[in-house]
Amino acid sequence: MIERVYDVFARKHRGDQLAHIGYVDALDDEMARVYAWKTYDEENWFEMCVIRRSNIIPVNRQDGPFSGSRGEGE
Amino acid sequence: MKELLEIQGLDGTGISALRRLILTLADSKRMMGIRYSDWLLGAPSIEAGIAVSSMAQDEWGHARLLYAMLKDVGLEPLKIEHERPAEEYTSVGALDGTFEHWAGIVAAMTVVDEAISVALLGFSRGRYEAARTRVPKMLAEEEFHASLAKAWYRRIAESSSKARSLLRDSTKGLLPPVLAWLGADDEAAKAMVTAGVTESSKSMTETYRDRLRDLAALVEVNIDQVQPDSGWDKDRARGPGCPDEDAVERVRGDRNRALLVE
Repeated sequence: MIERVYDVFARKHRGDQLAHIGYVDALDDEMARVYAWKTYDEENWFEMCVIRRSNIIPVNRQDGPFSGSRGEGE
Repeated sequence: MKELLEIQGLDGTGISALRRLILTLADSKRMMGIRYSDWLLGAPSIEAGIAVSSMAQDEWGHARLLYAMLKDVGLEPLKIEHERPAEEYTSVGALDGTFEHWAGIVAAMTVVDEAISVALLGFSRGRYEAARTRVPKMLAEEEFHASLAKAWYRRIAESSSKARSLLRDSTKGLLPPVLAWLGADDEAAKAMVTAGVTESSKSMTETYRDRLRDLAALVEVNIDQVQPDSGWDKDRARGPGCPDEDAVERVRGDRNRALLVE
């Protein structure tokens, strides 16, 4: 079983910008949802979502934290 | 919307039955929390450990809210929470012992936690105001438990034959006591259905089997062929046995109770 990296984004209020708040390692999308909700539960979030890091497409640099080289899992 | 229940209008049988219903839900929640707490360390990943830690807190919070309802039926929640021996616990028998491996707690998360949620759903749809107002938030939190349970159950079912075998054995062991608990149809259970406080055991059992059927099939368990345990004790509102003493000591907080300043 291979884990992937999922980045976690959330906002406290409806009008807030969605902000990157951390990441979780998970075996699949469903586990990532729960892990994110249970790990980053210090706020009463209006909205939270997760995205596989490998699905993030870098725009201006290839060496950033979201470069996609991590978390492919395959 | 159904008319709200007037507790003072219940007769002695009705009050006893409502006490029993609240207590078995609260005790089961509390024991579920203890079983999750056993896995704060030792889960397959840090994230899984954090998740079960949070789920343990959820269960204990739910139990606290349910115990508080006992005031409505003339019982003192503090005494109930901290002074009962293991033999007086009315928790579902599937939670009496520890789970020795991760497949076991995943089976419990799937088979037992789901049954408690189905029982709570019936309670939340009834005429008792406290259940109507407090239980829906519990059920919303339980959706995350169910998601994690399904994801892990599928994952283990699709992994090695040894892991699948552990999951199958755990599922087979947990289902009979759970079905006996959810399907209890004795005088007290019927009194609660008649009073409109909860749904019938038949209806709840059907809902439960529908929710579990596909998952159980992944490990070659046909949920429609599993029979409930015999030996239901209507006075204790549970099957034979009781939770292990160590768990109940932790539940009551025996070891450090003297330090509690009230």
